[in-house]
Amino acid sequence: MAAKRIDLNLPTVESRELRLGSIISWNGSTEELLKESNYEGRSEKKKGCCGSKGEGCKLCELNLPFSQQTMCCHAIIETQVTNITDCVLVEHSPIGCSARLPRINITYNQTLARRGKEPQMIRVLSTNLQENDMVFGATAKLERTVREAYERYSPKAIFISLACTTAIIGEDIISAANELQDELGIPVIPLECEGFRSKHWSTGFDIAQHAVLRSIVRKNPKKRQNDLINIFALYGSDYFTPLLKPLGLRVNYIIDGASYDEIAQASEAVATTTFCHTLGSYFAAALEEHFNVPQIHSPMPYGFKGTDAWLREIAKVTGKEDIIEDYIRSEHERVLPRINELREQLKGMKGYVATGSAYAHAIIEVIRELGVQVDGSLVFHHDPVYDSGDPKENSLKHLTETYGDIPDYTVSKTQQFQLFGLLKRVSPDFIIIRHNAIAPVSIRMGIPSLPMGDEHMAVGYDGMIRVGEAILEILSRRKFAKTLKEHVKLPYTEWWLSQDDPFIIAKHPEIIEEAPDRFTKKTKKRSVK
Amino acid sequence: MAEKKKKATSITHARYACAIGAVNTVSAIRRAIPIANCGPGCADKQFITMSFSNGFQGADFAGGGAVPSSNTGENEIVFGGVKKLETTIKSAFKIMDGDLYVVLTGCAPSLIGDDVEAVVRRFRKQGYPIVHADAAGFRGNNLVGHESVVKAIIEQYVGDVKTEKTKGLINLWADVPYFDTNWKGNYSELKRILEGAGFKVNILFGIESEGVKSWKKIPKAQFNLVVSPWVGLSIAELLQEKYDQPFLHIPVVPVGEKETTAFIRRVVEFAGIDNKKAEKFIQKETEQYYYYYEHISEFISEYWFGLPARFLIAADAQTTLGISKFLADQIGLIPAKVIVSDNTPLKYRDAIAEEFRNISDDTSIDVQFIEDGYTIEKEFDEADYGYGKPLFLATSWDLDVVRKHKGLFVPIGTPNNFEVVLNRTYIGYRGAITLLEKIYSEVVRG
Repeated sequence: MAAKRIDLNLPTVESRELRLGSIISWNGSTEELLKESNYEGRSEKKKGCCGSKGEGCKLCELNLPFSQQTMCCHAIIETQVTNITDCVLVEHSPIGCSARLPRINITYNQTLARRGKEPQMIRVLSTNLQENDMVFGATAKLERTVREAYERYSPKAIFISLACTTAIIGEDIISAANELQDELGIPVIPLECEGFRSKHWSTGFDIAQHAVLRSIVRKNPKKRQNDLINIFALYGSDYFTPLLKPLGLRVNYIIDGASYDEIAQASEAVATTTFCHTLGSYFAAALEEHFNVPQIHSPMPYGFKGTDAWLREIAKVTGKEDIIEDYIRSEHERVLPRINELREQLKGMKGYVATGSAYAHAIIEVIRELGVQVDGSLVFHHDPVYDSGDPKENSLKHLTETYGDIPDYTVSKTQQFQLFGLLKRVSPDFIIIRHNAIAPVSIRMGIPSLPMGDEHMAVGYDGMIRVGEAILEILSRRKFAKTLKEHVKLPYTEWWLSQDDPFIIAKHPEIIEEAPDRFTKKTKKRSVK
Repeated sequence: MAEKKKKATSITHARYACAIGAVNTVSAIRRAIPIANCGPGCADKQFITMSFSNGFQGADFAGGGAVPSSNTGENEIVFGGVKKLETTIKSAFKIMDGDLYVVLTGCAPSLIGDDVEAVVRRFRKQGYPIVHADAAGFRGNNLVGHESVVKAIIEQYVGDVKTEKTKGLINLWADVPYFDTNWKGNYSELKRILEGAGFKVNILFGIESEGVKSWKKIPKAQFNLVVSPWVGLSIAELLQEKYDQPFLHIPVVPVGEKETTAFIRRVVEFAGIDNKKAEKFIQKETEQYYYYYEHISEFISEYWFGLPARFLIAADAQTTLGISKFLADQIGLIPAKVIVSDNTPLKYRDAIAEEFRNISDDTSIDVQFIEDGYTIEKEFDEADYGYGKPLFLATSWDLDVVRKHKGLFVPIGTPNNFEVVLNRTYIGYRGAITLLEKIYSEVVRG
């Protein structure tokens, strides 16, 4: 019997770079990246990338000597576990680690509204650590705060998050969680999500999923709910119900906006799927491997091709093959007239996509379906393989083979200073973004942005229409952007703005020494070209 | 015997950021470049509490997503982060187009003992305009970080200067950039008032400032004016020692005619300048102020559909004191709960509490210092509400309790997810009128 890919006995999950060989800095074409990623080859290995330290399958990564502030996996676990309606998070850290919560509260309440639930402030307690705690340890404070969380909110489960500080001083949250779990009689779940742990924040998704799988998802369920399908999601609108209802399926959204019980029943579902492989692959693969809930192995549900294949796979797994072809045909007929109109209206437009990894593949598919030209795209990291190792989830391959090459494809973790050069190279009419720090540069360059705050917007056949309509609206905002461009100055030197290659300082670090120095007389006279 | 229950020190629904949030103090200095020497995500998180979820203020030049950062990773934790910081700084000089570079060191590099000071000193000796400040989150909140950064710039960039003082030139230390949702508008109004009274005002942050030129001008000022209950006092003390510069401390930020007029007279008296221009300005401003005051009096006297009588307030010391004074002393609203949530250092608390006790001739406030949002919301919930609709002046965390008591809500504290704020002030002559508009608009909105 083959060894399992996912080990739920471990208290925590390995980072993406160790597990999948993920990278955060790269530039080339999707065809090149597809080849270098070697999805199939990599997936045959037990752990994604080389088991040993062999260099054979390591993706070549550009090492930048300069970076700008970005996000960490601690912030990501906050977006996950604080959004479970009847659980509480205790953050074992100084107060600054909690500073993203006001924004997370906005998305949380939007999600609740989209799921038809009552509004509610997120429930998070910080142990609020001080200098003394760094010296003497803070486990007593942690225990007190967890008890406080229990008394205040009577939650179904309490999560505890580790942070940079508490990891460095060696706080043992696993032992503390075990003891408190015995004392309180509810799951107390440790999350080793210190910000420095992984070079990419998406490891945070895996940490949250691993924890939920170990502690909340019902083991050995007594029944199956044959009409229930897990959708691993974030905050998006409920566009999956209209898409899947004709197949007689109810959706179970996990994790954001779900209750403890809704997550627990994930093991009773007929299948698991997601709007984004970057986000949902770990959870889906683990449910298949450890709970016998099949993962939908297919491209993601975007554009005609992807949505068709995804629906067919769901029909196969749920025994709806008899009706699926009629359903697909009638859906095509329904949406095609409007999509053709949109193709006409968007003719000649150039778009740029800057989002999370697999999600960018999806969005490019949708806008290429709409006839928008996409010469470049930026993703915040790249996973050469996903946890299931199933080639049907190779989203980069699906994109490149179905919709063609993206010649200027970049992996860069929300680095504003690089985006200027990247956008200059392809000069798009608009940009589609997720995460903060990207759009502010774009709009100062005169390019309006469409923030995909509702990440389900692009899903399915109607997704193409929704995105097309939204792009038309965004294009109107070029007026604002162009006026702005005339009146602002970017915080970068002329020298940097004149560079054609945003990765030049990784390829030739010496160029930094040779660049004009405005403060000392040390500049070398050699040409910087 | 039962263990003695220790006082809770945890925080729910925090109302401030941590010390590394002072990257926003630096980016508010025109053409200054902060370098966040900390983990990935630290600066981003503080920007959320201080700018995004605080009136969606946007970012200065090198703020927000543009802030250079060493993004301390596992490698640096194990092997030390000095090397990565060095290349980050070196690159920042070439890539970022700034006049002043400020390295702020957060928790992780502090704990692993990186000698950042030495790195920065080396660059400074080579002629680079660079400063280092301690901003570890476990040492304090963003207000502490703000003072630490300002003092670092004074010590390491403005430096030891002996210069003539310019009579009538004031360095103004009032709002903490970004943390105070209205900081831009507040500085503009204070500058307008002080200039109207005959002063020259040296503003250190934002659009009213000349960036590093203003900072280099600090030693020339006749004196420092601190308009805040406690933030900025230690800066003024440093300047007094360093440049033999006296300071005037006005704890109550002036809101409304009475307080603003008294404010101007106090500053004029302290400076010893001729008061003719000031009195003329006061006369003109007073006339305008009461023109609007008279107009709103019609509404206040005969609006049938319910006016607020009591207010509940929770925010930082500066905002809470200034607005409470105006509402309790001049408008006649009844303080039902007054909470300062900025972790005011203990040594300043008595003096601030005294200001609240003497808020008006017939009114005294027992201010509470509480940082934990859960406790603040509980205190609000258990307040005495009387008959009318209560007015909450608080943060977006307080919405649950506002809804529960069917209150009116005017956001005045951090975080603020409910407004987009660009150039607004609730202080001085003009700001007070805006605040009245805002409060009574909430009334008619129902």
